[in-house]
This record gives sequence, C-alpha cells and structure tokens, in this order.
Amino acid sequence: MSEHTLAAKSAGQLNDEMLSSMRPPTWRWYGLAFFLGAVVAWGISAFTYQMMTDLSVTGLDRPVMWGIYIANFVFWVGLSHSGTMVSAILRLSQANWRRPILRAAEAMTVFSITVAGLFPVIHLGRNWVVYFFLPYPNQRGLWPNFRSPLLWDATAITTYIIGSSLFLYLGMLPDLAVVRDRAAGWRKKIYAVLAMGWRGTAREWVVFRQASTLMAALIIPVAVSVHSIVAWDFAVTVIPGWHSTIFPPYFVIGAITSGVAAVITLMIIIRRVFHLEEYLTPLHFDNMGKLLLVICLLWSYAYFVEVQTTWYAHEPIEWEVWSFMSGKYTPLLILMLIGNSVLPIAGLCFKKVRRSVKAMLVITLLVNVGMFIERYLIIVPSLSHKNMPFVWGTYSPSWVELSVTAAAFAGFTLMYVLFAKFFPMVAVTDVRELGVRHTDISLGRAKVHSLTEEK
Amino acid sequence: METLGTFKDVETATRAVEGLIKTGFPEETITSLTSASYPDGVIVKTDQRTWFRWAAVGGGIFGACSGFLLAAGTAWLYPVQTGDKPIIAFYPTGIVTYELTMLFAILGTIVGMFLEMGIPPWSARPYDPAISEGNIGISVSVDSREQMVRAGKIMEAAGALSIRH
Repeated sequence: MSEHTLAAKSAGQLNDEMLSSMRPPTWRWYGLAFFLGAVVAWGISAFTYQMMTDLSVTGLDRPVMWGIYIANFVFWVGLSHSGTMVSAILRLSQANWRRPILRAAEAMTVFSITVAGLFPVIHLGRNWVVYFFLPYPNQRGLWPNFRSPLLWDATAITTYIIGSSLFLYLGMLPDLAVVRDRAAGWRKKIYAVLAMGWRGTAREWVVFRQASTLMAALIIPVAVSVHSIVAWDFAVTVIPGWHSTIFPPYFVIGAITSGVAAVITLMIIIRRVFHLEEYLTPLHFDNMGKLLLVICLLWSYAYFVEVQTTWYAHEPIEWEVWSFMSGKYTPLLILMLIGNSVLPIAGLCFKKVRRSVKAMLVITLLVNVGMFIERYLIIVPSLSHKNMPFVWGTYSPSWVELSVTAAAFAGFTLMYVLFAKFFPMVAVTDVRELGVRHTDISLGRAKVHSLTEEK
Repeated sequence: METLGTFKDVETATRAVEGLIKTGFPEETITSLTSASYPDGVIVKTDQRTWFRWAAVGGGIFGACSGFLLAAGTAWLYPVQTGDKPIIAFYPTGIVTYELTMLFAILGTIVGMFLEMGIPPWSARPYDPAISEGNIGISVSVDSREQMVRAGKIMEAAGALSIRH
C-alpha cells in the first residue's frame, strides 16, 4: 500500500483491515486446525511408539546414526534464521516497505525454532532423560560436558528462542494495545495483561523505537551464531564431507536462502487468506525477490566452491562421498540444484517474475524443497561412506520418521494458524505510522510525496 | 494526578498543547498519547535521551561472567583429562560465554525498556480507548485540583472530545 493510500484511510478503517485475521473463526478455519491437529496427533503417536519400542523402528542403524530427524533439525533452524534476521536488517536500514512483512517473518522464526528444538530431543535414544542436558546439582554426579557441540546447540537455541520470542513480543506491544482497546470480556483482560499498560505516550514511543533498534542489532549476531554452531556440529568432526572450513558461512547462507523463501511463501498465503492485497503489494514481492536472488547467487557460489575443491583435490575418501552421493541420489541432487540455484536465479532476474505472485509461490516453495534435500544430502551420504569401507551402508527413513516429519510441518502450520487468530498478523501501528508521517509537498512544478524521518 | 483530553486530530491537539504552555504548564509535564509514532515536536517535544541501554550493557556483562563461570567452572570442577589438551578449552568456553552474553544483553534491554517506560504502571492512569482508533490524547500532570480544572477548560476550549482525570 502506498503512503498516499494509507493517508487517505481513517485509522479505524486501517485497524479493521489489518486485524481482519482476528475475526471470529469460520468453519474452514476449524477444519484446517482440526486437520493439522490430527497430523500432529499422528506424529506424536508415532513418536510414542518409537519411545515405547526403541530406535530400531527408525531407519537409523550403523553407520548412519543421524538421519531425517537431524535433517529436520538443520532445516528448521535454517528456516528460523531469516525471519528475525530479515526483520532486523530491514528495521536497521529503515526500509519503509518492511512494515507489512515484519510480523509474518518474526512469527515464522519463533515457530520454526520451536519445531527445530524438538528434533534433538526426538532423536535421542532415551528421550526421557533429556534433562541430563541441564546443568544442575544432582546426586548422580552428572554434569553436562560443554566440549560437546550438542551442548553448544542447546545453549545457542535457548538464547535464540528467548531472543526471537522477545523480539516478536516487543514489535507487537503497541499492536496489542490496539487489540486490547477493541476487545471485550475475557479477551480484553488477556490483551490488557499482554499490552502491559501501554498508552502510547511520546516517551513510550521514544524508548520503544530505540529498544527496537537495539534488539535488532543484538539479534543479528545471535542468529548468525546459531547456524554457525549447527554447522560446527558437522564441521568439527573428522567425517569426510563434513570437515570443512566453509561449512559455517555456507550453512548461514543456506539458512538465509531458506528463510527468505519461506517469508515470501507466507506473505503470499497471508495476503490471499486475509485479503491483505492492499498491504502486501507487488513492490514487496519485487524487493524480497531481489533479496532472494542475491542470496541464491551466494548459495550457488558457496556450493560450487565446496564441490570444486573436493573435485580438484580428489582426496580419495572425500571424492568417494561425493561420487556416492551424486550416483545414488542423482534425482534429489538435480532437484536441489534446480530448486536452489537454476530456477530462482533464472527467474528472479526478471521484474515480471518477481512481481508475479504465482511465479513467486512456485519458486519459493521449490527453494525450500531444495533446501530440505540439501540438508538430507549433507547428512546421509557422509555417514554412509565414512573412512572404513567395511562399515559402509545406506539409510532410508521409516514410516515413524516420516510421520514425525509430517507432524513437524503440520505443527508449524498449526502454530501459525492459531497465532493469526489471536494476534495481529500485520504490524498495525508500524504500517499506520507511514500514513501519519506522509505529506505531499510542492517542489518546483510538481507535488511530490514526502516522508518524515527521525533525526 | 493527570488530566487527559482526547482530540479528533493533530491540529486540535496541538492547539491544546500551545494553550497549556501559554497558561503556564511546563512543557515537560505535557505528553501526547497516540497509536502511531509521530516525529518528535509535531505534537509535543520529548527528551530523546534514554538510559535503558546501560541495562543491556549490565545484562551483557552479567551474562559473560555467568557463561564463563558455567563453562570454565564445569571444566574445572569435572575435569576431562585428554592428552595435551587444556582442561578449560577455549572453544566451548568462548561459545557458551558468547551465547549467555547475548541472552542477558537481550533480557537487559527488555527489562530496562519496561523500567524506563514505567510500564506496567503501579496505579491506574487515565486513558481513552478511542486513541487506538486514531484520536490523539493530550495528557498533563497536575499538582492540584485547581490546575486540573484549568487544564480541562483549556483542552475543552481547544476542541477536546472528552476529558478524563
């Protein structure tokens, strides 16, 4: 929506439109929530079966002891990466087009990191002793060993979950006050607690703006560290294909690719479902498309560097892993390269494609399909063909693992669907700020748009 | 004590602010209540200096110490002897220290922000839900009943839709 159109609408009208996702649920909403809940329930039953039996119900066996659960973990951590990061970068750079996108991106981060955090627990052989991770005095004389990269993960993910949840909440604070003022009954009481007595005084706005900027600056290094640490889970081992210095930046780039694509996909869905066409305009898709194009170019460069170093050095075991992967998983490898590199780079060069919602939906979905495959191809082939040929093997996920994976996707969507019903999906006050800061001024013979910025 | 007038638009609200200042209310006792952020000085002028960043710094320092003590202390109390390797390893200690530094800096930012904003409030303060629908609130802190009545009259004369105390 242009600043001009924003200024033409009343605040009440803008509130109505931007809070449309919070209207009473329809039978379609209930149907979707029920379906997603059923898939989650199925996944929980599969996991319970795994817990009651043992890991033999999964496809995990020597030498491949990390399978689709860890691929899921890396994928969801990656997905979580961009939401907060995109939002933080756009806040810091004061890009005005960011405003309608922020909430979708920040919520995506919180939900995907929540899903990601479950996978190491699901992956454990004895899930019921997960609390051994926690450093607390106990009679067993156990204490976590911080030399283990899994402990680094636990620390980094805890920081990121708390940080990104607070980042989401902070951005929502003025919007929660708007919702509080429009709500009635028990809902009003809940929103009143969440809004913390926000009134929108000039002083509150000053502190709020500065705190948002500081939080954005703090959350970016945390986001980078989280995915670097996930990469170190692999890179600090001596497993062929994993022991690589490029892994942390390569993982971070992959995570941003995946996250930016997911933000665009969500923007398209939210736009359609909640009729937010006036707020999420082709301009937003164009700008996000350019961002995705740059990131896909970077990802392709990093992948090329990784592969060409392996090929040129031709170190036997490294080359064996690559040959095994490209031979056994050829269709997946091709799909990954098309989804993450060929299609987005070829398509997103064109403005017409970037501004086409349908084309963007196809491209962004394929990017994330490619990214999931990439995670799988990083993990499984390296473990299948390690240094000792007499323990080479293969892996394919069992129905239990596939059920848990389906439940993860359904759970993520369910959290999003519930969030949209109870919280504003568009940053209402942030978007309205554009309207109050906009004015037309005469410049020479023309009237031009002018937007007031803080000093 | 506080008197709050609600206005339909920025023009009437600024008229009230000018009226209040002219009749002797100090500018620092007057503030605006809006549901979107206006540039400073459009309605009222506000002090732009804040101290909550120090809470973030304090949180960061606390986090760095906790992280170091947690990782290095663990290694020291439960030593894992590995040939030619240090008991307190730089890499894991660095990672845990970094993550806890950032975590507590973030927590410090949020806590400091709420403390500086003065929310949640200890007592009820006048507020009008119409502010969320685009109306502008002008609030003035008053010391006496006489000042409260005077402020109310000025705001009514400027076009206030409602007055609350």
